[in-house]
Amino acid sequence: MKKYYRCYVCGDIHFGVKAPEVCPTCLVKNAYVEISSDEAERTSRPTQTTMTRTEFRAAIERFAEKNEFQVNADAAKVETLFDGIFANEQNHGLKYCPCRLRTKDFNEDLKLVCPCNFIIHETYKGKEDGECWCGLFIRRKK
Amino acid sequence: MLVRAFHKEEKVSKLIMFHARECPHCRAMMPHVDRLEKEEKVKFERLEVWHDEKNADLMRSYRPVIAPKCGGQLRTPTFFCPETSDVLCGEVPYDQLKDWALKQG
Repeated sequence: MKKYYRCYVCGDIHFGVKAPEVCPTCLVKNAYVEISSDEAERTSRPTQTTMTRTEFRAAIERFAEKNEFQVNADAAKVETLFDGIFANEQNHGLKYCPCRLRTKDFNEDLKLVCPCNFIIHETYKGKEDGECWCGLFIRRKK
Repeated sequence: MLVRAFHKEEKVSKLIMFHARECPHCRAMMPHVDRLEKEEKVKFERLEVWHDEKNADLMRSYRPVIAPKCGGQLRTPTFFCPETSDVLCGEVPYDQLKDWALKQG
């Protein structure tokens, strides 16, 4: 049965039997969540493809709220990271992590698009005070 | 009699700091690097990698050496000694950076 899916990062809508692994708009991996047809209709009106900082902030907050991590409360740090993420999008095409360097292998570099799959990284996995490499996301205190 | 004094030249290894302009860890490490250069006979070549493609390519050229010590990736900040191929990755306390830098000879 076909269902609606929406990318939690950029809002891209997909209608199909399963969610795409990689969002064709923002290229974030495993970013689709199932949504109702009402929500699909509401959110599928034409919009700009690029996100503002405010929209990106809201998107990662939504992404984090259902997970065991949160956006870092250090506002200055987050602003610096946003500067880098958006500079990378402007200069290199995608929202690459500003604390790692792309390899120039496109598929490999998809792993660096923010938010990345940091829960498998050694800086996060199994650590009480785990965080993604750049520190944008940190494990929520219990 | 002509006396020629020979002064043994102190050998200082070239050290590189690969950093990124908008990387908070790199910013946090800069004062440590400044202090270390002031207090010890150590000099870092600071190479920004997200806004300078030449520096980025240089870092990429060291990937086989750097990546295994940095979680399999090229991360910033990375401190690197081309002579010894030794790598220190990430935001670390001042003493750790100092120990690493002095170890390079």
